[in-house]
Amino acid sequence: MSAPRVDYFYSFRSPYSYLSGPRGFALADEFEIDLRFRGVIPMMMRGESVPTAKRLHTMRDVKREADRLGMPFGRIHDPLGEGATRTLAVSEYAIDVGRVREFVLTASQAIWAETTDPASDEGLRLICENAGLDWAGCSAALNDPAIAARVEANTQELVEIGHWGVPVFVFDGEHFWGQDRISDLALVLNDAGLARN
Amino acid sequence: MREKIEREVAPRLIVAASTVTLPARIAAAARRASGRSGRLELYFGFDDPASAFAVIDLARRLEGRKLIFDLKPVVERGIEGDPALERKRAYAIVDGRRLGRRIGLTLSRSEPIAPSQAAFLAAWVAAAPRGAALTRFCDAACRMIWFESDGALEPAPYEALWHQCFGSAPTGDEAAVRADEKQMTRRGPYETPAAWVAGRWFFAQDRSAQIADWLDELGWRVK
Repeated sequence: MSAPRVDYFYSFRSPYSYLSGPRGFALADEFEIDLRFRGVIPMMMRGESVPTAKRLHTMRDVKREADRLGMPFGRIHDPLGEGATRTLAVSEYAIDVGRVREFVLTASQAIWAETTDPASDEGLRLICENAGLDWAGCSAALNDPAIAARVEANTQELVEIGHWGVPVFVFDGEHFWGQDRISDLALVLNDAGLARN
Repeated sequence: MREKIEREVAPRLIVAASTVTLPARIAAAARRASGRSGRLELYFGFDDPASAFAVIDLARRLEGRKLIFDLKPVVERGIEGDPALERKRAYAIVDGRRLGRRIGLTLSRSEPIAPSQAAFLAAWVAAAPRGAALTRFCDAACRMIWFESDGALEPAPYEALWHQCFGSAPTGDEAAVRADEKQMTRRGPYETPAAWVAGRWFFAQDRSAQIADWLDELGWRVK
């Protein structure tokens, strides 16, 4: 029997997604689940606006949370646009070659804490190689329409399930929005008897 | 150059500025030296289960600190024209169950409450003096609304509760609620519950550790 599925909707432009990464992927270590990474196009590239007050507060709040979690944050390169699109394309390739966790964690830290520009070949290549991916395969993914369609489908599914932001985890039809709800999801997975011995 | 400023320099400056604490610490020390208390403003809605959790949780966590727990009820708030408003209100019920579980309470409602239904409570609280009686009322009212009842909100049981806490009948002040809403906007929060302490605001349902750290840093420690 296959392990129960947990969908993990994630945006490389969301600093809260970045904060969720280590704990989100660790769920697959702690529980017998099939954790599926679902990279989505950023809100602002989907025509949704973010008020200035929210943008300012997000930066301040994430800094405090990052400090609490012991994660680096602050040397940012906002990947809005090409940077986000290219990173999403490579994340799909990383799924295919079994290195999605390494790529997502490496890319997110590069964007939010190491001022790396994934819109440039130099920046993206550095990220890919640090994540153990071959640059030739990554470059090919950037122009692969099938990969772009997968990202589009992920984004559409997030809209269809009625969610407005990321990260979101979906288990057995139940949604857990935000990096603050990973512990609640863990409780539910535990209650479902999915904890690894 | 503009790209670099927007994508790198500006976010970095915002983050760096957020780590400056000296002015707030000096101001807090001056307040203490003159015998005054610290102040935590909590902007909350009686129609919001996350707010109910924050009122109950913070009332407990702030015990032992020389602080005024300034309860600021609001009715109108949120991001103007937010297309996800109704989805957020429905999700708040799901989320409220999880928050309740954290403090050993079970949500008794399965449907959102319209902000207008709870407006009478906001008007009472906004008009009342801050202090232990008001904290007791808000804590108990939040428990009654979200963890002990279902259906429409009727004033009668809350009037009885008010009598228990204050020994008098409530009087409402809608203008005071509007003033709290304006102050919340000036402070920065766009959603409830939001806690504001000495220049910083926090998502009050999820940042209790940050709030405690900030209070400690300001010197408003548990005695």
